[in-house]
Amino acid sequence: MGRALVAALSACLVGSALAGHDDVRVDPALKRYAGMVVALGAPDAEGRIYSFQAKRLPEAPGYMPKELRGWRLTMLAGKRFAAVFEVQDNSETEITVNRVDGPLNGVAVKDLFVIEEIAVAR
Amino acid sequence: MLDRFLVFITLLSLVNLAGAQGARVPAEAVDAFHAALRAKNTAGALSLLDRGLVVFEFGVVDPTVEAYAFRHLPFDMDMAVAAQWKLETRRVGGEGNERWVLSSYRVTGKQPDGTPIDMTTLETAIVRRSGDLFRIVHLHWSTNDASFQARAQRQRAQEPAR
Repeated sequence: MGRALVAALSACLVGSALAGHDDVRVDPALKRYAGMVVALGAPDAEGRIYSFQAKRLPEAPGYMPKELRGWRLTMLAGKRFAAVFEVQDNSETEITVNRVDGPLNGVAVKDLFVIEEIAVAR
Repeated sequence: MLDRFLVFITLLSLVNLAGAQGARVPAEAVDAFHAALRAKNTAGALSLLDRGLVVFEFGVVDPTVEAYAFRHLPFDMDMAVAAQWKLETRRVGGEGNERWVLSSYRVTGKQPDGTPIDMTTLETAIVRRSGDLFRIVHLHWSTNDASFQARAQRQRAQEPAR
């Protein structure tokens, strides 16, 4: 994802809290956290990557360790747009996905994602 | 009896489409998108959006599919789950690989404080065929609720220029 898009998204996040349907208050359908990939984890012997370092967007303290276990991670940008993974484990800054959904290869630094409190449908 | 059967078949097809990668019929792309939102299926909803998507939503622009996915899709999912969207009218047109789907919905429900939601939402969807499947390349939503529209536009006016 280009710098221009990151800048535009940041501007959106800073500049707008309410828009469109957002002006009608409804309960969140899911507990969710959005974030950005800031570094990819080390590949295994076959070159497969199953973890990455992340930061929350909008800016917020890190994730609660282990809170995201079993949650659904969906990529919102980049080559793996719309790809879905199950979170196997997390620390404040690192997300590790379950191998059953395949590796994260193709995900890149600055890609956006959302993690939602719902099981992956298989 | 026949009506019930048709409703069942329609619901069944929408459930299947909620996990789809696109739709063979233009209007199905729109219905499947709404069904995916209501089913809390983020990837299913994203799979029905063309990578060239631009969204106009009550005076606000999401210029890219990534911006929409990050900024507004979660709220649209919340709205789809919290409120009932009843399709009231629909017209479909266009030709070739570019088609349009015009829909109006009666949206009803309640906000957490008990305030009722009851408005007509108008939707223009342009869908584009790539291969055998249609995906949504443009969405434009507006409403007949003047106070809702005014609040949204006031909020928009307060945003810093960019």
